[in-house]
Amino acid sequence: MLRSFNESVHKTVREAAALAHRAAIVGAGHTRFGVLDAGPRALVRSAVESALRSVDKGADRTDVGEAMLATLGFGGSQIGNSAALLAEEAGVVGVPVTRVENACASGGFALRSAVGALAARAGPLVLVVGVEKMTDVSNARRRYWLGVSGDTEWERLAGLTFAGVYGLIASRYFVEHGDASQALAEVAAKNHENGALNPNAHFQKRVSRAEVLAAPRVADPLGLYDCCPVSDGAAALLLCAPELARKYTDAPVYLDGLGAGTDFLAVQERASITRFRATQRAAHEAFRSAGWHRSDVSFLEVHDCFTIAELLALEDLGFVGPGEAAALTLSGETRRDGRLPVNPDGGLKAKGHPIGATGVSQAYEIFLQLRGEAGARQVAHAGHALAHNVGGAGATAAVSLFSVG
Amino acid sequence: MRSVVRVAAYVPAGSSGGVRVAASDEDAFTLGATAVERAWGARDVPSEPVVVHLLGDYPAMADWGFPALLGQKAEVLRHPGNADELARTLHEVEELDGGPVFLVATEMPERDAHHEGSSPAATGAGSVAYLLERSARGKPFPFEHVGTARSALTLALNRGNPTGAGVEPPVFVGDWDLPGGTGRPVSAELIRRAAERDASAVSEGAYVPRARYLENLPSRWRLVAEECDNCHEMTFPARGICRRCRRRDTLATVPLPRDGGLVVAITTIGKGGQPTEFDDQVESSGPYSVALVELAEGIRTTLQVTDASPGEVRVSDRVNTLLRRLYPMEGEWRYGRKAVPAPSGAAERDGR
Repeated sequence: MLRSFNESVHKTVREAAALAHRAAIVGAGHTRFGVLDAGPRALVRSAVESALRSVDKGADRTDVGEAMLATLGFGGSQIGNSAALLAEEAGVVGVPVTRVENACASGGFALRSAVGALAARAGPLVLVVGVEKMTDVSNARRRYWLGVSGDTEWERLAGLTFAGVYGLIASRYFVEHGDASQALAEVAAKNHENGALNPNAHFQKRVSRAEVLAAPRVADPLGLYDCCPVSDGAAALLLCAPELARKYTDAPVYLDGLGAGTDFLAVQERASITRFRATQRAAHEAFRSAGWHRSDVSFLEVHDCFTIAELLALEDLGFVGPGEAAALTLSGETRRDGRLPVNPDGGLKAKGHPIGATGVSQAYEIFLQLRGEAGARQVAHAGHALAHNVGGAGATAAVSLFSVG
Repeated sequence: MRSVVRVAAYVPAGSSGGVRVAASDEDAFTLGATAVERAWGARDVPSEPVVVHLLGDYPAMADWGFPALLGQKAEVLRHPGNADELARTLHEVEELDGGPVFLVATEMPERDAHHEGSSPAATGAGSVAYLLERSARGKPFPFEHVGTARSALTLALNRGNPTGAGVEPPVFVGDWDLPGGTGRPVSAELIRRAAERDASAVSEGAYVPRARYLENLPSRWRLVAEECDNCHEMTFPARGICRRCRRRDTLATVPLPRDGGLVVAITTIGKGGQPTEFDDQVESSGPYSVALVELAEGIRTTLQVTDASPGEVRVSDRVNTLLRRLYPMEGEWRYGRKAVPAPSGAAERDGR
């Protein structure tokens, strides 16, 4: 009698807690990031299989009721209708699949769409896969595709790719807040140090601040080591409704808050050159919807496509004020053992940036860290995490908040 | 009879062996366009159609390029530019009644920077300069840089005046006082490549559909913004909606200043960091800078810097804008504005 009462109380408490959660992640998979032999289909297959295998109590692909594919379609391969490609490679032909394309933020937005699908009672599992195959195209074709998500009519026609746009932003940041080149170099050095501990990372070697500062300039003041690499890779997540999570695992990771936003494509039209309003809006929405404070967050996965972007992220997400991210970074607080670890997996900078996979990969890292499965790069006391995924130079942004419940 | 009210010349900033030459992103159209802009000045758009007589050969631009540049209905008449044709043209101009008339003479860049032989357009420019000297009623006309080097000249003529009485001497605008040989050095090789570059070459560059390119020319070429009558916010580029109050029915078009913009951010693109459509340019003339330029308070645009070495222009400098070639797309050159250092720009920054 008592036992059944206790069970019923536990059940009620669990359901109340579940109401605060938007969705649960019960499985996650990842391929190596880097210059790989595998093509996009093999990458998708590998990430999906590793996600299915990761589900503690087992999951069958027949449980997948809907899927989202995050990809830019870099190089132009299967640029149309690539949803069917995912259905084929995941072995779920028949279920609805949607391709989500918001450039480098495709993954973050696909996660958002998956939660929307769960809210519309898709399931029991919704699969999210992010993939990009970038290294097998010719040099000219690659540079063409690296620019397609920026503003074409003004920035691109003036001779800018993303490195150039972030170079402009960094130059303005230096004017407004003083020379931050040491902080930029520290972002690169820190993320490389984390990447060195991540067996999936594109770069698994350390670089010193001095090496970063001495590298050839790509778009002044940004040099080669301020830029993330061009990588192949895929990542996958399995989501379900929070109340179903324990059917699949005893250690689910919950999605508690979601936010997203847009801004003008071209930086020239924005009120500020050094602040991303899309990120600010996304963060505001995510924290409000989760009922969290900034101080609740144990670590961050932010979109450091260029070193300057990590400084902007810390400021736009509201962890520090304008111009203060440089000092925070130089203080060591954002290192893996600091007060607010940022990018323990190496970030885009060292882990690599297969465009469509990045946002999904951030959630993968959070899944491991919150479950205490991140091995050598495990962050201490990780209970709440934030993922921040930006499209282009801030035209789109998605912020997601995760907890262990 | 008409008389000349304004004379504008544009002489390229580059030089090779002491000879004025066009840079790799200049051609007959950009030379002529720059001279026309100088002659057009800040005047209000007249209600009558403008008549433009072109001495020189730029067929692709005649039908839509100059009207787009002037931003209004314009009749463009093309003339091969030889002496006989020129006399006939001037006669026609004198006979015409109605609105403003522009006479544009421009010279194509040549393969050999040191070739000083006359081209039809050069002859045209020289002849116009001669006639102009007469029309200027004794005012010495400094045309030594015009008609012999690569250059462009534009004359704005007033309405017909049968007696010629009370006609003021024309206003001269341009590079008259530039002594020869002070332009930036431009290699003969670069000029040869520029001349050889073919607009029909297949570009794997950013795709801007032709219809969109043409539709956006008021903003791209004339820097036209929209000002909202409701909240007084300026929106650039113009897109038919106020970026602050988001109304569509309260907008009036306003041209932004083309000169004196403030550099608020700048980067130099290293070799290999450029989009593919700029490969040719980097190959021939090396790295370039791109600036965010504030044209009016809160109104910015993104401009490649030209006629300057990379790193030369810095934040807080002032720049002027000129129409230049961007890159070829689908068999034709695409044009847009680029920034050049304003003569007093660096001085202002250094507080001199």
